[in-house]
Amino acid sequence: MKIKHLLLVSVLAAAPFSHARTVVTADVDSLDTVEQRLADDDNFTFTESQLGENDDITSDVIQINSNNNIYLSQLGWAWSGIWFKFRALDNAYNDVYMNGVQVNNPENGRFSFSTIGGMNDAVRSKEDVGAFEGNNYSFSGLGGSSNYNLRASQMPAGHKVTLSGTNRNYTLRGMYTFATGMGKSGWAFAGTVGYRWANMQTAAIKGTFYNSFSYFLALQKQFNEKHSLNIATWGSPTERAAAGASTDEANWLANDNNYNPYWGYQDGKKRASRVVNNFEPSLLATWDFYINDDMKLTTSAFLKLAKYKTTKLNYNGTNPHPDYWKRFPSYNYNVWDFDPELNYDYDAYQSSYNYWQDESYRQINFDELYFANRQLSKVGADAIYWIEARHNDQLMTNFSTSYDWNFKKGMKWSIGLQLLSNRGSHYKTMADLLGGEYFHNTNTYLVGDYQQTSKEAMYDVNHGYQRIIEGDRFGYDYDLWNQDVKLWTNVNIDRGIMHSFITAKIGGRRMWREGFMRNGLFQDHSYGKSEKAHFLDGGVKIGSILNLGKGHAITAGVGYELKAPGAAVAFMCPEMNNNFVQNLANEEVVSAELGYALSNKWLRLNLTGYYYHMGGGNEWQQFFNDDAASFSYNSLSGVKKEYYGVELGARIKITSSLDLVALGTYSEARYTDNTKVEWMNSTTGILQQDICHNKGMRMSGTPLAAASLGLNYRIKHWYLGVTGNYYDRIYLSYSPNLRYETNMYNAGRSHGGEYDVPEQAKGNGGFMLDANIGRQFTLWHNPLSINLQLCNLTNRRSITTGGYEQSRSNYSVSEADETSTTTKRTYNFEKNPKKFYAQGFNFMLNLNYRF
Amino acid sequence: MKTQSFIIALLAGAFALTACQDRDWETPEGISTQPPYGNNELVAGTTITIAELQAKYANTIKSNEYKEITEDLWLRCVVTGNDIGDNLYKQITVQDETGGIIIGINGSDQGARMLVNQKLLIRLQDLFIGGYGEQAQLGIKYWNRKYSEYQIGRMEVPFWEKHVRLIMDGSPEAAAFGNIKVDTLDFDASKTMAEQGGRVVRLTGVTISGEGTQIIAPDDGSVPPIGGCINRTVSGGNAGSNCILRSSTYATFKGIAIPTGPVEFYGIATKYRDSWQILARTQSDLTWVK
Repeated sequence: MKIKHLLLVSVLAAAPFSHARTVVTADVDSLDTVEQRLADDDNFTFTESQLGENDDITSDVIQINSNNNIYLSQLGWAWSGIWFKFRALDNAYNDVYMNGVQVNNPENGRFSFSTIGGMNDAVRSKEDVGAFEGNNYSFSGLGGSSNYNLRASQMPAGHKVTLSGTNRNYTLRGMYTFATGMGKSGWAFAGTVGYRWANMQTAAIKGTFYNSFSYFLALQKQFNEKHSLNIATWGSPTERAAAGASTDEANWLANDNNYNPYWGYQDGKKRASRVVNNFEPSLLATWDFYINDDMKLTTSAFLKLAKYKTTKLNYNGTNPHPDYWKRFPSYNYNVWDFDPELNYDYDAYQSSYNYWQDESYRQINFDELYFANRQLSKVGADAIYWIEARHNDQLMTNFSTSYDWNFKKGMKWSIGLQLLSNRGSHYKTMADLLGGEYFHNTNTYLVGDYQQTSKEAMYDVNHGYQRIIEGDRFGYDYDLWNQDVKLWTNVNIDRGIMHSFITAKIGGRRMWREGFMRNGLFQDHSYGKSEKAHFLDGGVKIGSILNLGKGHAITAGVGYELKAPGAAVAFMCPEMNNNFVQNLANEEVVSAELGYALSNKWLRLNLTGYYYHMGGGNEWQQFFNDDAASFSYNSLSGVKKEYYGVELGARIKITSSLDLVALGTYSEARYTDNTKVEWMNSTTGILQQDICHNKGMRMSGTPLAAASLGLNYRIKHWYLGVTGNYYDRIYLSYSPNLRYETNMYNAGRSHGGEYDVPEQAKGNGGFMLDANIGRQFTLWHNPLSINLQLCNLTNRRSITTGGYEQSRSNYSVSEADETSTTTKRTYNFEKNPKKFYAQGFNFMLNLNYRF
Repeated sequence: MKTQSFIIALLAGAFALTACQDRDWETPEGISTQPPYGNNELVAGTTITIAELQAKYANTIKSNEYKEITEDLWLRCVVTGNDIGDNLYKQITVQDETGGIIIGINGSDQGARMLVNQKLLIRLQDLFIGGYGEQAQLGIKYWNRKYSEYQIGRMEVPFWEKHVRLIMDGSPEAAAFGNIKVDTLDFDASKTMAEQGGRVVRLTGVTISGEGTQIIAPDDGSVPPIGGCINRTVSGGNAGSNCILRSSTYATFKGIAIPTGPVEFYGIATKYRDSWQILARTQSDLTWVK
């Protein structure tokens, strides 16, 4: 009875936000699915892969969901183990709102779900919509939108304790939630605290740990029938060690597909070199004004002060990382094929293989780095190894107001305004000199071409030949500013058998850079404010659901959008100067979707096809170009891409206690034309132009084909499920650099104007079997539930979850940056992409107790 | 009351947070006496001097061949040159009272591990000795891709580390190791490789000359590099008739100007067939005392 009461309260709390969910699902919502129970039991709000905590690649997935579409509602649960990306879209196409205010980082468009990890109860109430579903809070993104309801009154009254044990990123998790519900006095309080923990002995991947505390507090005052004010604050201060991708050769040598090169031993203790510290305390105030039964005004103000830093072992000299390419056996011997132009040293190959069998060789030797730095300090020399912290701090202030009006039966109109200002502070600090005394703030890549003490080699001429000690800023220090204004409107019309919506938006963005170091190579345009770039963007989207009767429905939608670029791609070389990239432009997005839905007592089915075209966008990346012994900054402009595919979701109710869920997708997501590229090396400061032959390259880090079949069984208080998943067509992130015309010429891939473009590296797909079992008990008159998830039961470790091609080439160039004499390398970078593999068998045990 | 309980729980959680796992790391204990580089288990057996070693393999060195050292022999020496100046590339030079020799190690930044004057105990067994341009060198046989033949070359760092022990000042081993007096020789072109090769020498009253940009090692194309290095003629004074100053275009001192008039400078003397090549170690070797 009490459970029913709690559910009722939850439903009522969510009711004001549920109108987008009401069309097709009415007669099947009573299906009591295993997934819903799991969600109720806290097992599944975010899996580790969905937190986007991989630093090497863009692994942030989209938290898509929809009650209107069985495929959308299930895929996050079913395919989280493979870091599945909805429609292969970047997280930037998924808009996230909190009480109506958009919280995506405008610099890159993304939202980091890790910032709300560990507070599952607080973020359980949300309204999810797909790209072509009407709603009352936004112009929905291509990857859908979510609006989290963070009002104190929405959380069920009572206490709840959750304890979890797992062998994933973290080992233990504890959460406690308390909520009063809306009291007679008009006050509601809700809060949750959580803690997730693993140390280096317990974490699933060697050399990592996890230390995260989470809190959420909300206080709501219902002043009267019309006015309510809610204040919410939350944060998730997290300290964790990151793991890195590795080549198959490294994994083979370490006998571990999850080999992590980012840790080592110091004084006999394990030490991680890449430690992420992240804390994004947020404050949200929301005023709900119920003007009358048909009108509502929702106004929110949001403030976030995010502190993010990630450390990295850096060096001036020999790369001390154990997976440096010259340390591999195949550096000495071409294991891929015989090339008569190369001679091989098999003895060296064997020696290297033998060295790798020793763990101390395949991990970082911190003691030696300390020793080297200590020795150098004896002769007054700079440290050559250090751990630096790369900071990315955000100060975001947002304001939103939206007005809903049920102005006619079956017609709803929403209009809203969003104002946003974001300052992204990017700088490096010296975290640990590893026994050294100091380091000079000098671009060591330039030393040689310029004297060590020359202005040109200084990272900050204003401070001269500056000694850096621990805690000092060095290298780069700049702010990126984004300021947005957006006006949107949404009209939902229910008329007869048709539910339609039309939504539109118009917005403006301006951005600029402010540098705090006067870089020696760009003394006139690196310090102070840059020019300001202005963009006008907007879009329109329409969609309809046509109920054909007897549970049949057709859905359709089309959209056109101009999407302004973010500051993350707007500057050619933000670490060094104020210059914008050339050809910076809005991305043009054309989208369409057509679907069929069937819903009856025993079957719920969705079949959807979609097509997206994107043109004119910008992409940006930096990497170390060893042909030039320099960092290289690269800007692609006029990028053209297309995404299309078909998706199927079906739930078949076999008996009252048994149902079968089937999911499947087959999609394409690729560049449709070659792209102009401008690049600049940090050692020269000279802008170069080229053509990148990226036509046909696929989006990476997700299966473009996936299928799933699951059986869910419920009897009395037990529930269990078994799901088999199959993944295929997994591509790794392509390296543009390998496909520049100049570089392909150097590589001997140019034949009379025709280019033999390297094929994009692929990962392995495969089959994965998951299961779960749970039971609900009554303990001291209160509900206790226990659930056990078992993932990858067959311990398949060969399935690739992501990775990237290395940007280095298979030859060395005798004269940097020029088409010049090349020498083949024995080591084959093209054959050695870096990969992440799915974790083997893993589990999660959860206990929930409500009282 | 319930709210108070919750706040207490919140504070308890916040307290738990203070237990950071990536703590402030201290310098590892003992690295000043038991360095985390090389093999601290090595104990000297039968020692041999550099001069004796070069005499023992004189023919091998002279004919630019290589040979594996199979006897249990040990060398006590000090480092005289390393890669700190980015001029000696993947090499160090060592000396004892009797001579000097080059050691090829296939790793950069070895100078940060083995400073000049660092005492070394080297187990020679399993190393290779040979000649390159008639200059004696310790290392391992190496497959030369260009000539498709094995030569004396650089050994991998892990292999080298198994054969060397760093004797740190102040350690118990240092007392037993004793002092090795290393002299700086006045360069004499008439000396043999065994007498002078691999040793620190002083050239006096010499003139340095060369084409192109008048710095030590220009990389602007004004002088074609040979093996990544620029050769400058050294004449007059005690230079003899076939002496060059050889410097890498990556050397930290590559940009210093060629001096006018006779000067004094220092470097490692290396033999390359009929010529002497002087390798400056750092800029302090090239202070151009007049």
